[in-house]
Amino acid sequence: MSLIARHLEQNGIPTVIMGCGKDIVEQVGAPRFLFSDFPLGNAAGKPNDVESQAFTMELALKVLKSAIGPRTTVQSPLRWNEDGKWKLDFSNIEQMSDEEIARRRAEFDRNKQIAKERREKDIKSAAAAE
Amino acid sequence: MSEADQKFGFAEPHDKPIPYIHRISSYYETLGYGKPYRWAQYNDVPFTPLKKSLSESRVALVTTAAPYQPDKDDQGPGAPYNSAAKFYMVYTDTTETEPDLRVSHIGIDRNYTTAEDMRTWFPLQQLKRLAGEGVIGGITERFYGAPTNRSQKRTMEVDCPEIYERIREDGGDVAVIVAN
Repeated sequence: MSLIARHLEQNGIPTVIMGCGKDIVEQVGAPRFLFSDFPLGNAAGKPNDVESQAFTMELALKVLKSAIGPRTTVQSPLRWNEDGKWKLDFSNIEQMSDEEIARRRAEFDRNKQIAKERREKDIKSAAAAE
Repeated sequence: MSEADQKFGFAEPHDKPIPYIHRISSYYETLGYGKPYRWAQYNDVPFTPLKKSLSESRVALVTTAAPYQPDKDDQGPGAPYNSAAKFYMVYTDTTETEPDLRVSHIGIDRNYTTAEDMRTWFPLQQLKRLAGEGVIGGITERFYGAPTNRSQKRTMEVDCPEIYERIREDGGDVAVIVAN
């Protein structure tokens, strides 16, 4: 998504990214970024919490409006929960048993194969349509 | 937490933004997938100042979410990673009605994100409210679906120009891009 933001900005369209992956967005280099310190998938606010969604969208627009230069990151003051322990779990190899690692390896292989077939089919049918 | 931490009111050591690049790289390294993914990285960052006020600007909404496809297995809420639901071409759809968008095809946090409420990744309802209140000038007629492609070449050479062209066609002045 940061690559899209960069392309749009290079072509004269101001952007703001809403995201939860701080290091990834900042490494690519984003013009304006509202960072919510939430689990990936909640960049626009908390589930079933309209107030949080309204606050997040409004804050993103404020970042869009008021950023003074590129690489502006604003961190939302909202918290996912009190203890923040969810942050320990994401793809954290240090917390997994050998059985869990083996199970994930098999699952990864399966999905990779499915995605490969789907991608080839999509690109082929798009080429045929052209 | 140490005594000093408590004394100074420090946060818990784990309670800071997740270092995703480190986590994901060591995860796949342990699973035995040799060459680590190389995330894009730039020193120079472009920046375009707003040309007019937000209340006069038409907002384009860009998402990585996918339209629900009934024939493509479980897409949630609560679905495991579903690579069959991925898409590889930019798509657009109307913003007049709320679409049914899912995130089973991307790397969300499956421990904590239930994916039960689309509005946590697709803020169209909030943008409509803000358009109604005059905070933004409006929303483009279509929203823009961006493929989450591991091929950065394809993202940069095909998807980025495609999204830009469509936003321009629709008269979008600014873009809100929601990552997942």
